[in-house]
Amino acid sequence: MRTTLPSSRRLVLTWATLMGLTLISMISARLDADAEWQALPLWGALLVLVSTGFKAHQVLMTYLNLRVSSPGWKGAFLGLALVILGVILSGYLAARHQLLG
Amino acid sequence: MTEPRGSSSVSGAPSEGEADWGPLSALPGNPLMWVLILSEMLVFAAAFGLFAWMRADQRELFDASQQLLDPVIGGLNTMVLLTSGLFAALATNAVARHQVRRSRQWLLLTMALGLVFGAIKIAEYASKFGAGLTPETNTFFAFYYLLTGFHFAHVLFGLVLLALVAWRTTLANVETATAFWHMVDLIWILLYPLIYLLR
Repeated sequence: MRTTLPSSRRLVLTWATLMGLTLISMISARLDADAEWQALPLWGALLVLVSTGFKAHQVLMTYLNLRVSSPGWKGAFLGLALVILGVILSGYLAARHQLLG
Repeated sequence: MTEPRGSSSVSGAPSEGEADWGPLSALPGNPLMWVLILSEMLVFAAAFGLFAWMRADQRELFDASQQLLDPVIGGLNTMVLLTSGLFAALATNAVARHQVRRSRQWLLLTMALGLVFGAIKIAEYASKFGAGLTPETNTFFAFYYLLTGFHFAHVLFGLVLLALVAWRTTLANVETATAFWHMVDLIWILLYPLIYLLR
């Protein structure tokens, strides 16, 4: 049995989504602001991480074609990506609230 | 648009001439590449966890150091890498349709963008070194060079793989090399907000 690769149209749509999500990340991080360097508002940081999560999902499901795999493997790789994002968020929140300082 | 067929098993039973990889047979492409992808994700996850821990411990130093990076350049490199990922996927589609020449063209474009990523990264490193910011400057820059340098090493290895499969262009080879390239994409997607954006 052979897998079905994503169509070219789906790949281009995924690419456009990834570009859009990258721009959303950059805007959420307020890279356009001329103001002095300052900590992000919490919603901005969360938006950066949510768009990063969607990007990881798109790359795994479409570019790596994991969508044709079993639910177990999909869950394992998406779960690992979520764990990584959770680690990043935990460290960020710990720094923000100076939990170790 | 018709969807091209890949080479890999997705059912439990292997077809004639294919090895039975057990549960790994349910993954698309070369199962060993998925083992590599999983192990790379775990290695980077551990490094990200260490970075996050150190940041929580030395917040002011990390904040002050992060201000010296250019997140727009990092974003530009993200877009370059994601576009190269599109070209890599199109190369797989082309070879699955027996369009070997077209596949090679996509692979060359993928490599060209990989080189653009490398050039931007080298320019960034040169700028930081020029400003006296080296791995020995502080913990943040030690992590910055370690994480982005380790990722950059993967980009270079990916370029070698892509060059090899542009020469020996079969569906199995292209699927395997482009899966590695997409893993490089995936790691950068997770690395970019950690190092450049979250503050």
